[in-house]
Amino acid sequence: MNSSMEPKQPLSEYQANLEVLMQLPLFAGLPLEPLKVLAYLCKRETFRPEEIMFHEHEIDTNAYYIFEGTAELVSESNGEAAFTTFGERDFIGSMSLFCDIKRLFTLKARTKVICLTLSRDKFQKVVERFPEITGRMVQSILMGVHAWEERFLREHALTCGDCRKWIGVSLV
Amino acid sequence: MITKRPLIYWVKTSSVKLQVLLLIVIAFNIAARVFPLQMQRKIVNEAIGLKKIDLLFLYCGLYLAAVLIASGLKFAINTIQTYLGQESLSRLRKELYAHILTLPISFFRKASSGMVVSSLVTEVVSAGELVGQAIAVPVNNILTLLAFAGYMFYLNPLLAALSLGIYPIVILVVPRLQKHSNRANKMRVDVTRDLSSKIAETVSGIHEVQGNASYRIENRKYGEFVDRLFKIRIVWNMYKQGIKVLNNLFQSIGPIILFVVGGYLAINGRFDLGALVAFLSAYEKLYDPWKELMDFYQVYQDATTGYQRLMEYFDVEPEHALEPPPDRQPYVFEGNIHTQDLSFSVAGGIQLLKQVNLDLKPGEQLALVGFSGSGKSTLAQCIAQLYSYTGGSVLIDGKEVSQLTKKDLAENMGIVAQSPYIFDGSFKENLCYSCAALLEGDAEKDHKLPTLDEMIEVVQQVGLFVDVLRFGLNTVLAANQEGELVTKIIRIRENFQTHFGEELADYVEFFDEKRYLDFSSVAANLTFGSPNRDEFTQERLAENQYFLQFLDEAQLKRPLINLGRELATQFLDIFGDLPPDEVFFKESPISIDELDDYKALIERIGHSRIHELAPDDQRLLLRLALRFTPGIHKMATLPEMQRNLILEGRFLFMAKIQQDHPDALSFYRMSDFIHSQTILDNILFGKTTSDHPNAQDRINQSIIHLLIEEDLLEGIVEIGMEFKVGTKGDRLSGGQRQKLAIARVFLKKPPILIMDEATSALDNASQKRIQTLLETKWKGKSTLISVVHRLDTIKGYDKVAVMKAGKILEMGSYQELLAKKGVLYELVHGAKTAAQ
Repeated sequence: MNSSMEPKQPLSEYQANLEVLMQLPLFAGLPLEPLKVLAYLCKRETFRPEEIMFHEHEIDTNAYYIFEGTAELVSESNGEAAFTTFGERDFIGSMSLFCDIKRLFTLKARTKVICLTLSRDKFQKVVERFPEITGRMVQSILMGVHAWEERFLREHALTCGDCRKWIGVSLV
Repeated sequence: MITKRPLIYWVKTSSVKLQVLLLIVIAFNIAARVFPLQMQRKIVNEAIGLKKIDLLFLYCGLYLAAVLIASGLKFAINTIQTYLGQESLSRLRKELYAHILTLPISFFRKASSGMVVSSLVTEVVSAGELVGQAIAVPVNNILTLLAFAGYMFYLNPLLAALSLGIYPIVILVVPRLQKHSNRANKMRVDVTRDLSSKIAETVSGIHEVQGNASYRIENRKYGEFVDRLFKIRIVWNMYKQGIKVLNNLFQSIGPIILFVVGGYLAINGRFDLGALVAFLSAYEKLYDPWKELMDFYQVYQDATTGYQRLMEYFDVEPEHALEPPPDRQPYVFEGNIHTQDLSFSVAGGIQLLKQVNLDLKPGEQLALVGFSGSGKSTLAQCIAQLYSYTGGSVLIDGKEVSQLTKKDLAENMGIVAQSPYIFDGSFKENLCYSCAALLEGDAEKDHKLPTLDEMIEVVQQVGLFVDVLRFGLNTVLAANQEGELVTKIIRIRENFQTHFGEELADYVEFFDEKRYLDFSSVAANLTFGSPNRDEFTQERLAENQYFLQFLDEAQLKRPLINLGRELATQFLDIFGDLPPDEVFFKESPISIDELDDYKALIERIGHSRIHELAPDDQRLLLRLALRFTPGIHKMATLPEMQRNLILEGRFLFMAKIQQDHPDALSFYRMSDFIHSQTILDNILFGKTTSDHPNAQDRINQSIIHLLIEEDLLEGIVEIGMEFKVGTKGDRLSGGQRQKLAIARVFLKKPPILIMDEATSALDNASQKRIQTLLETKWKGKSTLISVVHRLDTIKGYDKVAVMKAGKILEMGSYQELLAKKGVLYELVHGAKTAAQ
């Protein structure tokens, strides 16, 4: 390809996106063609400190990959109680790429956050063209849920008291 | 009804004055055509025969005059004929269209749009043409024939009888052939119709075709129709040509008889030579009118067949009268709705509604809930007269709905459909569509239409205000817009920079002479101004010799061509093999129409070096590079060195152009309005760097603030109202379309509102907004029947009716039904568990 002619030329945004996507579990193992299109359709966004990235109870159709900064998951209906934080190299919201889901939390940028976003309409355009990739991605999401519960069982199940009767999400 | 009218109706109703004028012209024309024959005879017998030069000139002069007059009159006949024909065609088109609009909805479920289109566009044409010819052609030609024949009898009855004897044979044979031709023509019309439907189907289902790659299936289906049409058209044309050939044959036999008999008589001295010449000439002249008559016969047959087929297709009675009788005004209802044993069944005895009874007082609000297929939409549509119920009754203020005219309903009812249709045109036209429909034809229409304030109010209520403002801000003002508006925008620009410049620096890239602009194109970075001359518009720079010369001088041409090549190669690497889709091209310097050109280009140039490229190819690549906007087109980067080179180029260009063509461009200056950019870009004096809703909100808020200060908010919204929404409103989002449909009905303020899942495409906040509006502004004012798909919105309704399988299972207030723990309780309860 021509783009490699100048050795020291920095990567284009598209190429950088492609590198990120290739490393994400959700897209791992997908053929290069759909990944290229996805990398092209992704968008970089910057959020300021304290800016809301998505709101609780609202449908948000984006998935986010954080390049830089940290964001906090809070519950607005519970007096802004904080749950967890996401930071560099975290990828969140892949379920939104498949269907309308109301967010259960609010995501708030704590510092300046630079991230890559992918919206469902664009993602679905790619799935339309490459229907065969859906299976792989569903598999990886389910594996993710499974791995999450496995870890939860290992680390917290014995100590969490009442919450134990809620265990079993991987059997959904 | 139009479909019952025979073709002759259109002849009868065409302008009588013109038809009479036509007949008069025809009479003169015939005289002018026979006269030369007599001249021929005289020229041969008197001038040549007696060797009189002066008579020769006189007769030839008269001959010439007659020929000239005949040609002039023929032209006049054709003109009048064309006028009559086209006038009838327009009338036919308009009246048929008006008829089609009134046909019941059920008609359109089986009729294809392709069929309706081809009927109105092409199939009516032959009928219209026939109307133009209907009187002129037969009269003109029969009279001409008679005149020539009479003249021939006057010269020699025997010869005339012999040579005209052939015609009766023709009259016997031709109609038989014509019958076959008609049959073929009928089949042609039918198959052409199938073909149009097929094409229309393909166009509307193209995403399925491409998605399934079912090209071969579709090609085969289409091919079958084309092949059938092929065969039919061959047969049809063979008959048509057969008739023509037969005609010619008979026509050619005539002179032989004339020579045998006429020659014999002339040799025996019983017939003078001049008469023989005139006779031959007359016989030959018979051919034209005869041919025209035959052609007319075919046009007549084809047109009648086509016309009958056309009218049969649309021969459906409208179910309801459009206007009330002249002695009464449209009803003004209060909004009582009462149904008694209302039922509706469709073909096959399937009952969609069974014995529905309900009662609504004026201003009461009813929510219809139930699973899809339970009949809630059908019920709403029966009450709205969109479906004709088959049993029971629906009364509005005591008047049976099936007996009301469309006008009565339109005056009193507003309907928001499930997938509302937005028409091509401006936002404002769509907003006022329902109001304008009632006022069409009213002389004071312009005064009675909603005012700007009313429009803004309703737009605000449904939550479209910011959208419309945004449309306004994204408008490029017409070049001649001067004065106050421009001055105010410049003032807002200054205030924006002082008040919000720092705060919004993340979202805006300001035009700065000394910096490379990532969100402006390379072309804009170089020229840094808006063009005052066509050849300096950004799209035409790649062809502008002066600019190309400058690029060379600035050492930019080669790097840019290289950049163009990289852009094209990268883009094609990603999308080259995919079926194109608008979404892929939104952030690309290549537009969807150019894809194939660039594909071919990249293939063509292969690994050639830049200096080996043809000048046209270089220009294509240059065009891409000039469009390149690093902030948007992310498939390539602009190395630091090139940025600096371009920045240097900007100053070189400024210096050069100011010297050579000082009027070609106006450079971006804080104090000058930029006519080639949108109002928003003018206020920002830059480009936005993100289209994320958060960023847009912030920018909107700050701009709204400044617009209010300058008292310009309404002005910009007014400009936004002129936004062109695109065919089917495709430049609006689904939510915007639905809000617009709701707004246009609210603007009409009808006493009865029917909403069929009218908020299904809206986000939560907007849905809540509309619901609150219904509960505060419309409750007690308009009777509302709302088909609801989400149970969380029904609490505020006066009544809730739960439907299942075409019946109302229970009806009452939300609280009553919940307390009863019946079906609604189950629905709500079930919905809750499902949501958790």
